Amino acid sequence: MNIMRQLELEHMKSSLPDFGAGDTVDVHYLIKEGEKERVQLFSGTVIAFHGHGISKTFKVRRIVAGEGVERTFALHSSRVADVTVKGRGIIRRAKLYYLREREGKKTRLTRNLGPKKWPRSGAGSGLSDTKASTDAASVE
Amino acid sequence: MTGRNTLGILGKKLGMSQVFLDDGTCVPVTIVQAGPCPVMQVKMVNAAEHPEGHRKASINKGKKSGKHDRARAADGYYAVQVGFDERAARLCSKAELGHAKKSGLDSGLRFIREFRLDKAPTQVPGDSLTVSVFEGISHVDVTGTTKGRGWTGVIKRWNFATQDHTHGNSKVTRRAGGIGRQYNTSHGVPKGKKMGGQYGVEQVTIQKLEVVKTDAERNLLYIRGAVPGHANGYLVITPTVKNEREMSEKPGMAVSNAAAKAMIAKGR
Repeated sequence: MNIMRQLELEHMKSSLPDFGAGDTVDVHYLIKEGEKERVQLFSGTVIAFHGHGISKTFKVRRIVAGEGVERTFALHSSRVADVTVKGRGIIRRAKLYYLREREGKKTRLTRNLGPKKWPRSGAGSGLSDTKASTDAASVE
Repeated sequence: MTGRNTLGILGKKLGMSQVFLDDGTCVPVTIVQAGPCPVMQVKMVNAAEHPEGHRKASINKGKKSGKHDRARAADGYYAVQVGFDERAARLCSKAELGHAKKSGLDSGLRFIREFRLDKAPTQVPGDSLTVSVFEGISHVDVTGTTKGRGWTGVIKRWNFATQDHTHGNSKVTRRAGGIGRQYNTSHGVPKGKKMGGQYGVEQVTIQKLEVVKTDAERNLLYIRGAVPGHANGYLVITPTVKNEREMSEKPGMAVSNAAAKAMIAKGR
């Protein structure tokens, strides 16, 4: 394997929550208040993944007091403690920027109630890569 | 190379990535394969200072080996010559192979440099420099060859301002403009006038780059920020010449660096 890829994998999270664009998620984000740390939730729709490897980020959009708010999280940051999926949406594109032009009920996505149709955070996951790397290591 | 006479290491830029500190700070890093660098030769002011067994230089021109040794001449300065990155023996010239053989190597090395020293080096040929030379060193200087950009105009090469695209200007937006003088034309164009030309492929030293992490096991250096040149380009890395005084005057900086490093060492 490419050495850079291998070194990156060492710094990446070994397991990632399974989520993708179109999902409604809660992002558990660690914030520091003085000496204490606590978890802050940011709930919204995942509208995009960006980058690859350790620099992969994802964008979550929500409406706060009638105003659209978007936050970008680094997927492999230790600050992003967890991402829980509240609902899955059926989408036809990777970047859901069209939601920015929509208001009210139109921002809803079709809920995906059935079994998974396609691999979810496969695009966003380091998981499969990690597996591959351990396999490769054992072969060596 | 750099102003201060000190040991450094030779390396190869592997590429850029990022690491997260425990407090979530994302640090951009360049990962460098640093050494191990076999010592190929030591240079001494006086010939007598050479370690036993290295006081002779061979001059046997194709004759029986060992028969025509002469005393090694004085080098006049102290230095350690080190190499990095093996070159397959079949690609080496005989001279290269012969030189490498003296330090117990089977094949030549691609990248060979000297580190000038103030005192007689303790290393002998056959020793090896590793990233351990950077123990306790927080900042380094990195020398490399920049990426080639070919023949480049003044806008890119010297950061000249472009001319107007509007206000009646037509066709001339990326030219240098005037280069001479209106009066006293006998002086012509000033010497050293910045113009277009070859840009890149030049030796550049970036000073005072923070060492984020060292991996002694695999001879890796994680250096904060960018270093000159493309991936797989060769680098010379030395402890920084930027004075420590400057850093001790800003104690917060040193502390935060130390804290960051402690976090990384602990966390990962």
